[in-house]
Amino acid sequence: MIAEYSSLITLIALTAILAYSFYAVLIAGQLSLAQVGLASLAAFTSALVVPSEPLFGFIPPLIIGIVFGMIVGAFAAFILGLPVIRLRGVFLAIATLAFGEMVRIFLINQTWTNGAQGLSFAKLVGPGVAWIALIVVAYWFWRLSGSRLGRAFAAIREDELAATTMGIDVPRYRMASFVIAGAVAGLYGVLLAHFSRFADPNEFSFTAAVDGLVTAVVGGVTLFIGPVLGSAFLSLLPEVQRAIGIDAGWIRPTISGVLLLVVILFLPGGLSGLIPVRKSAKRLNIDPSFQPTLPALPAVGSELVNLSGLGKSYGGVHAVQSVDLTVNAGEVLGLIGPNGAGKTTLVNMVTGLTPPTTGTGNVLGVPLTANTKAHRLAQAGVARTFQQIKLFNRLSALENVLVGGYRITQDTLLRRLFFLPSARRLEREAVAMASAQLVRVGLGEKAANAAGDLSYGDQRRLEIARALASHPSLLVLDEPAAGMNHVEAASLSELIRSLAADGIAVLVIEHNVRMMLATCDRIMVLNFGEIIAFGEPSEIARDPRVLEAYLGSAGSDEDEEAASVLAAETLAHVVDDRAAEHPERDGAAAADDATNPEENR
Amino acid sequence: MQLFLDGIFLGSIYALFAIGFTLVFGILDRLNLAHAAVFTAGALVGIEIVTVFGVPIWLLIPIVLVVGAILGIAIERIAFRPLAGRHDAHFAGLISSIAFGAIILSLLQALYGADTRRFPADAFPTTRVEIFGATVSLLQVVILIISVSLMVVLTWLVAKSKLGRGMRTIAENPHAAAVLGLNVGRISSTTFALSSALGAVAGVLFTLNVNAASLGIGHAVELKALAVIIVGGMGSLPGALVGGLILGLAEVLAVNYIGSSWRDMVAFGLLFLILILRPQGLFGARKTREV
Repeated sequence: MIAEYSSLITLIALTAILAYSFYAVLIAGQLSLAQVGLASLAAFTSALVVPSEPLFGFIPPLIIGIVFGMIVGAFAAFILGLPVIRLRGVFLAIATLAFGEMVRIFLINQTWTNGAQGLSFAKLVGPGVAWIALIVVAYWFWRLSGSRLGRAFAAIREDELAATTMGIDVPRYRMASFVIAGAVAGLYGVLLAHFSRFADPNEFSFTAAVDGLVTAVVGGVTLFIGPVLGSAFLSLLPEVQRAIGIDAGWIRPTISGVLLLVVILFLPGGLSGLIPVRKSAKRLNIDPSFQPTLPALPAVGSELVNLSGLGKSYGGVHAVQSVDLTVNAGEVLGLIGPNGAGKTTLVNMVTGLTPPTTGTGNVLGVPLTANTKAHRLAQAGVARTFQQIKLFNRLSALENVLVGGYRITQDTLLRRLFFLPSARRLEREAVAMASAQLVRVGLGEKAANAAGDLSYGDQRRLEIARALASHPSLLVLDEPAAGMNHVEAASLSELIRSLAADGIAVLVIEHNVRMMLATCDRIMVLNFGEIIAFGEPSEIARDPRVLEAYLGSAGSDEDEEAASVLAAETLAHVVDDRAAEHPERDGAAAADDATNPEENR
Repeated sequence: MQLFLDGIFLGSIYALFAIGFTLVFGILDRLNLAHAAVFTAGALVGIEIVTVFGVPIWLLIPIVLVVGAILGIAIERIAFRPLAGRHDAHFAGLISSIAFGAIILSLLQALYGADTRRFPADAFPTTRVEIFGATVSLLQVVILIISVSLMVVLTWLVAKSKLGRGMRTIAENPHAAAVLGLNVGRISSTTFALSSALGAVAGVLFTLNVNAASLGIGHAVELKALAVIIVGGMGSLPGALVGGLILGLAEVLAVNYIGSSWRDMVAFGLLFLILILRPQGLFGARKTREV
């Protein structure tokens, strides 16, 4: 019985290993079709080094082949990755497909591969070896899925830009997933060649690459076991059909095609999506004893941001012109101005997403230049939220915040592989820190919900929690109150004040002027890319240029006066509230209430 | 001169396949891997019609256009429309079109068997003419003319007609298009129908040219067509034509000067280089990524 099916059993394992090679790139949101090309490179080059006798009398030839093949696969993937890693989506798929075909044509034209006649290999792989290899690979991916590296891959898959601002070096991690996939592909190539005892380069064709991709996608990438399920399903399908007597040449491919279509259309997560798993394996941990001690924030009052003459122009359009600014630890600095005033461009420069065209700047010791990478700034202690919410939508709220903690946590993959106690401890600490931030913004009860399912206001709060999880020195909030009612905005204002009291410098863009006057220590007003006013809230509220920018009273003096009167009346009680809340500060304020929160872009 | 003309004619077949391919890929941003199956279906169904009913070639082309269009509508309805709105519509569409292509091929196998089939010997006049000292067949000239005129008509259609505006609107933002009152489903169907109609005709012309059709002919051309649309530029119909001609010429020259075993390296080497150096292709517009 077993003997009869031994080759089927072996093939299931080998196909699953190939699918893991696709899985390794898919979990980081990439689609590579180079995998079988890498496998064939590894298989044929291994033929050059695998000895017929054990090396030094005890190292089995297959081990040498496997190690060599994996190195070849990883190295070739690295070389391929250098030029193609910046391509995305379908372009990456086509470039890698072209690479695979080039490898095939190259190998066919070489004498050492025996060309299209193919090459004989020693029979070194049976069901036992294949399944041991599969178990090792699956185990590795299982341990990967809960580690910091695994979370970084998931973050890149969901939103590269947000991942960058968490301090994740996106190109490096994309390359890492590429190299891992290359090593697994190399393993597959060597095992397959030494199982089938014969290989010619044409077997590693586009069709084979598509089969591998189909296996990975049918199995699903939501769970590490996906590739095994996909391989078992697709390998057993023809066997089952044969066993129940369906034999006509065309019926089998028809049924396979229909089943594949059904899986794709009706099981979005692949077969592994059918396995019931707890939505979030991790629960909130609010036990304060697990909170690690974090490095101290910069002393209150120390200078964190220093911009001088910073500007950005697109073609002839000056989005931001010559801004001088310092931000100190423990202060809340507001940035207001009409839509299109350059507020978001300014904070994009401060967070490294947009390179400045003029001027110099220094943020937490990192100079702002054309080559400053956003993840460098994030690692230095800058965290931000976005005007258009950028959450990792398919991850749970808690997982989002855990990714936010990337900067202050250690990688746990190696520890997890060997189940070291320190891995558990580090994970518990990470969860404890993330939980504390969730509770702080009031999302403690929604920790297990997928971020994409939360309400708009909750998503804004979750973004703040995710930013706070990196223990930032400088927090940049881009319109955090957009879409919030005034009760929610008031509690947000309180939260911002409490963060500043902790010693965090908060740079906040907001259209809700009432809230800004009540929250900020200093306010900068931008219009058409230029600073038109800068000072304490009380000064800003009286500044005629601010009123003009907001109320458009550029006409007669009469208009201007009327506007001032109106604004002064409107804000009379804001000042009262503020005086009651913060008796140490005073200020008569006048300004229009928030313009509608519109998107800048 | 003979080499040059051979390259042009080979390239015009690649272009014909690629024009249909890029219509869906470039404009609707969906990679339809069932296109190769439609190509094969056009060839095999065409052979069947000519063999059984004795239909002349000039009448066969419109019939095959209709067959292709029907297949295109089926592909859109079954393999692509159910995925609309899913975050992984790109990946999933790739796989579902592979599955649908496999179904089409297996049904073709059921109808016509797995053997290589040919058009009857007298299906198309084998007239040959001498131009600039090179021999070309009437068929090659016809293929070139059909490719160029289809490209011109389609370019006009996409750029100027109401349907074309609808296509481009959907490509930009299907939600906004629907809100503006465009019938997104119908426009998508029409695009797929057009694309597949061209694919089916390309199958007939290709088969006439090489005088053999088997279940596998689509795959080889599909890979080349991917190269063509990337080289020419995503969604650019003139790009698909020029890309096809460049590839055809390059292959013929490679066979002549390097050796036939390296022929396919040209297509993929070219594709790889273009992706690295100029990802938007020769004629494509650079799509800026929003931050």
